[in-house]
Amino acid sequence: MTPAVPPGARRRARSLLLTSGLAITLAVVAIPFYWLAVGATHSSEEIFSSPPPLLPGGHLADNLKSLEESAQFSRVLLNSLLISTVYTVCAGAVCTLAGYGFAVYRFRGREALFGLLMLGLVVPAQVTLVPLFQMMADLSWLGTYQAVVLPNLALPFGIFLMRQSMASLPPSLLDSGRMDGCGELRLFLRVALPPMRPSLAALAIFLFLYQWNDFIWPLIVLRDGASFTLPVALASLQGLDETDYGAILAGTSIAALPMAAVFLALQRHFVSGLLAGAVKE
Amino acid sequence: MGQGTGFDRRRMLKAGGALAAGAGLAGAAGCSGSGASAGGGGSAGAKDKGRITVWSWQGPAAELKALTPEFNKRYPDIQVTVEDIGNPAIWDKITTGLAAGGQGLADVLHIGVDYLPGYVEKFPGGLADLGPLGATAHKDAFAPGLWETVAPTGKKVNALPWEANSGGFWYRADLFEKAGVDAEAIQTWDDAVVAGKQLKAKTGAFLIGLDKPASQADAANFFQMLLQLQGTFYFDPEGRITLGSPEAVRAMTLIKTLNDAGLVCDLAGGWNALMSALKKGTAAVHPMPTWFGGIIEEQVPDEAGKWKVRLPPAVRRGGSTAATVNSTHLAVAGSSKHQAAAWSFVEFVLTRPASQVRIYREKGIAPALMSAYGDAVFHEPSAFFSGQKRGEIFLAALKAPQPAFHYTADYARALKLVTDAQSKVLLKGADPAAVLKEAADQLARQTGRKAVR
Amino acid sequence: MTAATPAGPAAPAAPRAARPPAAPVRPAAARRRARRRPAPYLFVLPALLLFGAFKLYPIGSSFVLSLHRTEGGTQTFIGAGNYERLLDDPLFWTALKNTAVILAVQVPVMLALATGLAVALNSRLLYGRSVFRLGFFLPMVTGLVAYGIVFSVLLNKDYGLANWLLARVGAGPVPWLTHPLWAQISLGLALTWHYTGYNAVILLARLQSVPAELYDAAAVDGAGGWRTFLHVTLPGLRPVLLLTAVLSTIGTLQLFDEPYVLTGGGPDNATLTIGVYLYQNAFKYFDFGYASAIAYALAVLIGILGLIQFRVLGEKE
Repeated sequence: MTPAVPPGARRRARSLLLTSGLAITLAVVAIPFYWLAVGATHSSEEIFSSPPPLLPGGHLADNLKSLEESAQFSRVLLNSLLISTVYTVCAGAVCTLAGYGFAVYRFRGREALFGLLMLGLVVPAQVTLVPLFQMMADLSWLGTYQAVVLPNLALPFGIFLMRQSMASLPPSLLDSGRMDGCGELRLFLRVALPPMRPSLAALAIFLFLYQWNDFIWPLIVLRDGASFTLPVALASLQGLDETDYGAILAGTSIAALPMAAVFLALQRHFVSGLLAGAVKE
Repeated sequence: MGQGTGFDRRRMLKAGGALAAGAGLAGAAGCSGSGASAGGGGSAGAKDKGRITVWSWQGPAAELKALTPEFNKRYPDIQVTVEDIGNPAIWDKITTGLAAGGQGLADVLHIGVDYLPGYVEKFPGGLADLGPLGATAHKDAFAPGLWETVAPTGKKVNALPWEANSGGFWYRADLFEKAGVDAEAIQTWDDAVVAGKQLKAKTGAFLIGLDKPASQADAANFFQMLLQLQGTFYFDPEGRITLGSPEAVRAMTLIKTLNDAGLVCDLAGGWNALMSALKKGTAAVHPMPTWFGGIIEEQVPDEAGKWKVRLPPAVRRGGSTAATVNSTHLAVAGSSKHQAAAWSFVEFVLTRPASQVRIYREKGIAPALMSAYGDAVFHEPSAFFSGQKRGEIFLAALKAPQPAFHYTADYARALKLVTDAQSKVLLKGADPAAVLKEAADQLARQTGRKAVR
Repeated sequence: MTAATPAGPAAPAAPRAARPPAAPVRPAAARRRARRRPAPYLFVLPALLLFGAFKLYPIGSSFVLSLHRTEGGTQTFIGAGNYERLLDDPLFWTALKNTAVILAVQVPVMLALATGLAVALNSRLLYGRSVFRLGFFLPMVTGLVAYGIVFSVLLNKDYGLANWLLARVGAGPVPWLTHPLWAQISLGLALTWHYTGYNAVILLARLQSVPAELYDAAAVDGAGGWRTFLHVTLPGLRPVLLLTAVLSTIGTLQLFDEPYVLTGGGPDNATLTIGVYLYQNAFKYFDFGYASAIAYALAVLIGILGLIQFRVLGEKE
């Protein structure tokens, strides 16, 4: 008989093996990212020198200065934080509600309505860009943040993600809640959501990331340099033959920090066993 | 789209608006003011009053910003906002605005020659006619051929030229000297093949470099220049496809000859590869336009005195050595409510020699405006280029009579097919005439244009 | 963890049966659900309203556009004309072939890696789990412009970091982005780098919902790591594996960002994807009608593949 849990020594050996194996993989994966950070501290000429710089250089301050001067970097960083946060909260609510509705209920038109929403995923955004832009112009919304945020709140990806995740809710859990006389909304908030914390965290991470990196739509609807989001501002640093690559890499590196913080904060919710109690009853 | 759907759509939009208010987001940015409501038809407005927005990128945008205080001395009541959108991002932004009937565009738009004809043909009315605003008075102020580019039908003036680049022949004088070849004596590209062989044998350097697998969209620049030196292009003035013309076959055959002789190094990867070839001295010649001089000075500052420039050899003996290979322009959006004020700005920047001289001094952007060349800056000897007066060399090219090259709305598509054809010749040794005919046929099928010859 | 609860019979073999039998409650619940008819609609209403307000019209309008030819600002109805053009357009078929290759090769590899990664990142045996999770997540954060710069520098044939490292071990320079086959490989590597962590996070979140009892029961039954993975982990992941498979398929068929910034579709059209070709037709050739036709041909393809995936991986109810 194999014991249920390996004894200490064997367990530690397997731990070490797994950890070191993953560490090597991570080291390879991290190379581009490491170089991104290194590039952020060099001038454009140094970046394209041969061989490329492997160690940090002394150009970070200059890069940040030119970011601030030519792209209003700190302002733009705040814009992106604001937009991404508002978007994550609103879209998170919309997607979770819809995902729950599609996952746990059977109702007339369920498949058709879900299919309709998935059209947004299936039809490439490049061809819906112009008519959507026209709508924003008709509404006199160009240059406003609602034009950036509202059209993408019902994100098919988010709805799909939540539908697939909510499918793991045991029907017995909800039924027993109903037996206790819970209303449907209370049932959703009190019974269904708590064990879904890992998926909600994943959803929030993706929504934030989506808005944080979204480029083409904000580029098209925003009008005033002071209202630009990060990717739009970074793209404005590109020219025909005078692109400030150092500044772009510095901007990207710094832009990664808030996103990393969001990830670290939310990944705490990836904890096992949230459903355990529910299943046990 | 019927009336009914329009109504439904508006009703739905209302619902969207209510949701916006509910989400507490309405007006978060507070910058929906100027031009945002401009849709459909624009209007002239006052010549000396109004708020205008300008879209450009990086260097030129910085210069436009720098010119604004001077502009305001003459027009104190025009408020100018220059937005640096970045390039290529600006094309997505302008294209979307034009495709949406001109909605949301800035008043003044900076547009390259590769996009201008497409915008004019595909989105009629998208750009304002500058003729009635006073542009026609400047008809003869620009380098030959460029007026036909901005006013192809001779009726409507779609833009005014800003930057004009001529094809150049930047070469490593030291390598040529070492090989015992007189670069200035090369008269045709056939001569260049002979010179290139000697150069390769003596110095190991390639004659030129090309992006053989067409990893970038501009991989066929050299081919295009060879066409322009012969006074032809991808389309004739009637818009018919001329990719199969004898001139085109001649140009592609020349490229094949150069390549088969081992004189072409591979610049696969585009710009980065070009820069690394420049630094390593892989190729002795860069057949690049006017603006490339600044790049050489910047990238290989140690090689001062080793470089020279001349106009490219002709394709046929006695043929032209002058070709205006690209230009950029300022246009006014057809939807602009302040077209007259926008025109005032365009006129100030593009037709006033002092403005253009300043821009050239700061950013090396060569003016299309001929009167700007009276300034001393174009006649100074350059220490880097072995004491040559390179401003004068390119001025001579600009002055040379040139046909207008008809880019048409399908230029980008033609360019794509040409680069693919060139790759087949360079990588697979394909027959120039055959690949060009194939490209012409495919272009004809895709665009409905007729292929001639 | 607490001692295993003997939740169900033969847990490792049939984990779905491990849930407590729900049959007794069903009829009552069904009746109650019938009375609460509006509830499901209210849950999906916000999404439907927003979708109806902002997406329905653009989607419909672009479909209508795909039936038109725009010539000098006037639209002419040409029925299926644009779709017929597709059949006769060698570049479209090249793009379709390239996209299919990526779909067949890169997507399965990436999903397998992501599953393995998610299991590893979830393992209690792993030291410093937060650090690893963050590390594998970070590639996703890189914005498009920087992504292009970083990879063009890393993969440059002459002075790139990758070839510099290869030269240390005596391997010759690899034409990463400039040789057709290598460019396809590079694109695949870059995609895998970018999105494996993304999929791993989705899978990781789902792993938390696989009841711990099942693992404990499997351990009690003496199932080894591999058998536990096959019989507990994989079935538990199934709905989300379906999700990642569908999303990756769609993402690949619409693939645009990576080839656009890495290779521009070249060299020799080796990395020309439908997404890039679609973009070129719309935003470079201003042929929005044709671009819309490509988009809808693509949408049909996605729909068919999606349905197949639902059939193969979906819940069999």
